Amino acid sequence: MRFRATLDNVSTFFKIMQTIEKLQKKCIIQFSENYMRIICRNDANEGGVEVWSKIKVDSLFTNYRIQSMADNTITLELYTEALLAALRSATASSSNFSTFGTDVVTMRLAKKNNHAVLALDIQASSRVGKPVSVTHDVMIELMSPQDAERLNEPMCPDPNLHIILPPLHKLRTIVDRLKPMSDILAIRANHNGCLRLSINTESVKVNTEWRKCTLANFPDPTLSQEQEPEDQPDPDQLFSCLVSVRSFLKFLNSHVVSTTTIAAICQNHCIILYVYIGDVTDAGGVLTFYIPAIIDDENF
Amino acid sequence: MSQEELPPVLKASVHDVRYFVSLLRGVNFVNRATITVTKRGMTITVEESRTLLGTAFIFSEIFDEYIYNPEKPQYHQNLLQREREARANANENTLSTQGSSSAMEVTPDLTQPNEAEDDSDNAAFEVPLNTVIECLNIFGTAGGSGGGGGGSSSGGTANVRRWQRDGDNSGEDNETNAEEGGEEGQRRGGRTRRTGYTGVGGEKRTGMRMTYNGSGYPLTLLLAEDSSGPTTTCEITTFDPEPHLELEFDNDQLILKIILKSSWLRDALSELDPSCEKLTFISNPPPPINPLETGGQRNRHPFREDLQPVFRIQAEGTFGTTEMDYPNDREVLETFECKKSLSYTYRFNHIARTLRALQSSTKTSLRIDDEGLLSLQFLMPVTNKRVGAPGGEAPAAFIEFRCLAVDEEL
Repeated sequence: MRFRATLDNVSTFFKIMQTIEKLQKKCIIQFSENYMRIICRNDANEGGVEVWSKIKVDSLFTNYRIQSMADNTITLELYTEALLAALRSATASSSNFSTFGTDVVTMRLAKKNNHAVLALDIQASSRVGKPVSVTHDVMIELMSPQDAERLNEPMCPDPNLHIILPPLHKLRTIVDRLKPMSDILAIRANHNGCLRLSINTESVKVNTEWRKCTLANFPDPTLSQEQEPEDQPDPDQLFSCLVSVRSFLKFLNSHVVSTTTIAAICQNHCIILYVYIGDVTDAGGVLTFYIPAIIDDENF
Repeated sequence: MSQEELPPVLKASVHDVRYFVSLLRGVNFVNRATITVTKRGMTITVEESRTLLGTAFIFSEIFDEYIYNPEKPQYHQNLLQREREARANANENTLSTQGSSSAMEVTPDLTQPNEAEDDSDNAAFEVPLNTVIECLNIFGTAGGSGGGGGGSSSGGTANVRRWQRDGDNSGEDNETNAEEGGEEGQRRGGRTRRTGYTGVGGEKRTGMRMTYNGSGYPLTLLLAEDSSGPTTTCEITTFDPEPHLELEFDNDQLILKIILKSSWLRDALSELDPSCEKLTFISNPPPPINPLETGGQRNRHPFREDLQPVFRIQAEGTFGTTEMDYPNDREVLETFECKKSLSYTYRFNHIARTLRALQSSTKTSLRIDDEGLLSLQFLMPVTNKRVGAPGGEAPAAFIEFRCLAVDEEL
């Protein structure tokens, strides 16, 4: 089992890990020939949020070499904080010494004291031009190919609609205000491009509405046939999903890395959020968040 | 619903909520607040442990639009209004609905008619103040929590600078208002344009439209940054008002009255250790020697040696006592009237409640009556004055705190 690659885009990787780190302590990283996946399963965080990300190897690494018995795939589990700390150190050195252009960050699988580690070698040069070398060893646990095969994305019904969200940092400001007032957030949208975030408690009802949001046209019809017999969906019909405010805020932490975000609403089941890293058309990767619905719609 | 056909009890809008929010924050030390709406504006009242009463007085002029319609069920108020217009005597109905109204009809003619009107003609409800503030700040553009945070850390010079900046701002507002003047009829249009105008400066402003339909209805806030962005609708549940502590300040019983720049008081209070328990205001009538000459240096000596401080703030805590003396100098105490020697003690954590309002205010009036009732009034600088208001110059809003003294015998 071998893995070695030069990490070119340290800051993007760092931002991705920042988002993941706020979600949960441990995550699974799977390297394969073309993709790096970061997976957070719902068993480790309270809100049941899952993250399945798929990032093109090219958008982060060069000189990427991988070899393993399991179809050249390596699956490992690590503490997000440890990897984040290593990456932070790498971003700091790359920003400080960027003028020298000699900064190389290499990521490799290694064994130290009989324990598997993901080693991050940072080659930089000091202000006076002397080479500096820093190595971070992030403890990892390798997953057996059998366990790795059991990792499956959650099953979801066909979403009722896909809508492009407003800039996430703006959403975050609003949801931050709502957090002390309610635990549950309702997300509603219709085919006219109307998006609503609302809370409804005994003491206050708050509804924030965006109009003219762009709908994302996915090739498959966005309506499931059982629910809506007509071919043409009613453009004003709102599809809603109740989620935990905290879980939604965890997803909104990804505003640091996002460019475009598409929300897919599976009414009363879940909300799926595709956070694109880089431009949508030429996406270097996508972080997919699954936030389960809270089934308690008496008041909404 | 028959109510919905009627005009709402209150309809108010403002293109920038920052000033309004800074006033609300000034009294945001207890969550449940009573909002009393009258024709001239609104007051927000909060109370703590039956000792401290905080009230923000917000005049209608700070809003771009402010319409108050008396609530229908209170039939006598309609009559009062009609009576006001006709200046006629009240008829039988008025007397039957409210016994005291006969007294009221007399007073308006004799004294200030406006105030008497306001007392009787109002709508009051309770709201969770925190929620109102969170809602107003939903886009994060309702201003920092400190209000006039710029001057909070440094001394008097910073405050002067802030004053100037405020002046500049209102100058800018003049311009925008002049711009608006062309189409006075379209308030909403004017509002969005103005937010657009200030948006050139790089920051966005939250505009608000507030309506209240009367008892049992929620307080509705409609908020938006600009016409292209999202709009937020908040419905905040209102409650019937609970009677508040009544702390009448009788000017005839007044024994101490001080008007000073807020920074002088703020700097003194912020020096104190937060673990203090008690705060005492000690004051003595100014020494009779040469009352005309109040040039600082000559006066400073006598009162130190006499141990008869003109005005002293004394704080007591577990770690010791702090004393701060103010000189009887017009530079510091703009007004100083003390009828007899006094020393009243208050709980420090009550006084600390006033700090937020104090920090964003420019001037403070401190009064104490002969029972030790303390009244602190803070003048809040107007930043977005509505100049073209029909009422003329907009009076600056102020926040008042009344606090009972600690009973020394206990």
